[in-house]
Amino acid sequence: MFFALTPDQQEFGSAVTTYLAERFDLAAVREVFESDGDGSPESLWKAAGEQGWLAVTVPEEHDGLGLGLVEAQVIARALGAGVAPGPWRGTVLAAEAIRLAGSPEQRAAWLPRLATGAAVGAYTLGGPVEYGGLADVVVTPEGLRTGFEATPVGSYDRTTRLSRVEGGTVEPLPGDASTVEARATVLVAADLVGIAREALTRTVAYDREREQFGVPVGSFQALKHALADLHVGVTMAEHAALYAAHAVDVGLEDAALAVSVAKAKASDTALQATAAMIQYHGGIGYTWEHEAHLFYKRAKRLAGSFGTADVHRERIAALTL
Amino acid sequence: MDLTYTAAEEEFRRELRSWLSANVPAEWRRPGFWESLSDEESFALRRDWERDKALAGFAGIEWPTEFGGRGGTPGMKAIYDVEMVLADAPRSVNPLGLAFLAPTVMAIGTDAQRKEIIGPLLRSEVIWCQGFSEPGAGSDLAALSTRGVRDGEDFVVNGQKVWTTNAVHGDKIFTLVRTTPGSRRHRGISMLLIDMHQPGVDARPLKQMSGASEFGEVFFDDARVPATDVLGAVDDGWRTAMLLLSFERGASGISQYTEFRRQYDEIAAVARRLGRDRDPVVRGRLARVRTELECLRLHSMHVLTQVEQGRDLGFEASATKLQWSETFQDLWEVYDDVLGEHATLTELADLDLRPLNAQAFWSRSVTIWGGSSQVQRNVTAERVLGLPR
Repeated sequence: MFFALTPDQQEFGSAVTTYLAERFDLAAVREVFESDGDGSPESLWKAAGEQGWLAVTVPEEHDGLGLGLVEAQVIARALGAGVAPGPWRGTVLAAEAIRLAGSPEQRAAWLPRLATGAAVGAYTLGGPVEYGGLADVVVTPEGLRTGFEATPVGSYDRTTRLSRVEGGTVEPLPGDASTVEARATVLVAADLVGIAREALTRTVAYDREREQFGVPVGSFQALKHALADLHVGVTMAEHAALYAAHAVDVGLEDAALAVSVAKAKASDTALQATAAMIQYHGGIGYTWEHEAHLFYKRAKRLAGSFGTADVHRERIAALTL
Repeated sequence: MDLTYTAAEEEFRRELRSWLSANVPAEWRRPGFWESLSDEESFALRRDWERDKALAGFAGIEWPTEFGGRGGTPGMKAIYDVEMVLADAPRSVNPLGLAFLAPTVMAIGTDAQRKEIIGPLLRSEVIWCQGFSEPGAGSDLAALSTRGVRDGEDFVVNGQKVWTTNAVHGDKIFTLVRTTPGSRRHRGISMLLIDMHQPGVDARPLKQMSGASEFGEVFFDDARVPATDVLGAVDDGWRTAMLLLSFERGASGISQYTEFRRQYDEIAAVARRLGRDRDPVVRGRLARVRTELECLRLHSMHVLTQVEQGRDLGFEASATKLQWSETFQDLWEVYDDVLGEHATLTELADLDLRPLNAQAFWSRSVTIWGGSSQVQRNVTAERVLGLPR
């Protein structure tokens, strides 16, 4: 039995975490958040290409690392914890769709470029597309869409830019792309798990120091019990995202259940943890200058992405009742 | 990632399954069978069965062979826990002795204690109770006041213990007793191994809200215990108790998951039978509890992995307890939602609701015993998250 990350997999995640802490901290995120730009800072995108974050699941024959969804969710979790901007997820998912369902020509045309970041990808089931304005190719249920018009869509989560995509041409994917939605759901769940853990860690750190009534507020049981419950919840959500990634990758029998469990749990937990982050920082947590709203808004958007917790609970009910 | 067991572990599963299928009578699987027996009958049946199981080599799975165990792996212990539930095997008559006392005796007992205690415990020849909680010392265990005074070669013990599992069936009780008069809190406590079959010990059943009597009270009125029957050093009983409780840390929750999953399926069947499975609110609630159950399963794989890697889980055990006990309670609250106005009935249509209600009532106890949820949250907040005391 080995239900854990290997040292190599852990290293993959900590490399992302270290990069963000040293080169793209929350001040940098805030700059993107408050800017009118395209929301994908060049330095971060370059790092994603150079450090293999984009190449993670692309086969080695197409210049990728040939790893799986487990490794991809490690990166997703680290990017969520850093509320990092940029079209990483869409590019990885477009590559996954093309890897799984593309013709040899489509694979050769797109995978090497998506793996290095030379091309930007996106994935959508309909509705606003993450970084549609930057994407060279959008994977939709109909196939590969290129040459489209992208119109920006306003969103309060400025850690990610959204667009409506129309027109252009669609080239079908000949193979079986049926697991791509599950892969997308897992990567969103992992991002939410990263957000939730980071929100909890930052809140605990603050409440250890912040004094009221002459003592740290973290010494009050009203806070302790809420934060302890969150710790248990986040721990379970971490297990659920990891397991779902593995289940989809190797095609376990309970993969559909695992994905819905992961998304339902991660959505709820991230919303709770980021709401708690605001509450247990007190008034400062409600201000624009504090980072809590970056986490809260990203959690709120992703909680609804690829199915809310309620949508996934209905799937769980359908699978188990 | 490797979610499989080794070939040797799977071979163990086959052997165990084969023994269980030959040795768990079909009658025992009938719903309501155990409830139809008196407490005495039920205990005697379970005690004999557990002895036979031990004699067949299916006990002390992870214990070293020198103590009569099987010398098995943590994976074999997990398989054992799962298969016992799947086979409808009865609950152990010696749960606290096997899980807590035995490993403590192996670790710090004298040679004589190891010889006298472990074998008979494994074969259920001696039923061990745990004497920790008192009327004035529940979550605050260090407030205990049962006292033992040295008298020649013995300690003479006076006081009362409560919430004692199997009290009326117990032969011996490992008991925390204040052996230094006037000592405070964690100091001056010893763990005495007291014979319950003596005039100075009176065990009485406690009738629980479910109507059953798994627990009892134990009164000590000049009970005598030889001074050699101390586990660990005299006046060092708090340390012995902490060591003893640390053996809970390897518990993964897989046994609870297996049991609760079956209950989920039973509740789902009742929901279908009553047409309640089409109610979107009920569906949402069932799915919520199923989500937590699946998380418990994954958590148990995580714990097993850590144990196999030789890591001490430390205070993470509190998260395990919170997850299984709170989920179990939520599960049976959903049962009430499914039944609606019929929640307190003993039968409905052709359904016998008594076994289900027994679990529903029991679910109120699991967030209290073994460290209440409130204590577990304190531990998690202070020891895991590092929040100030």
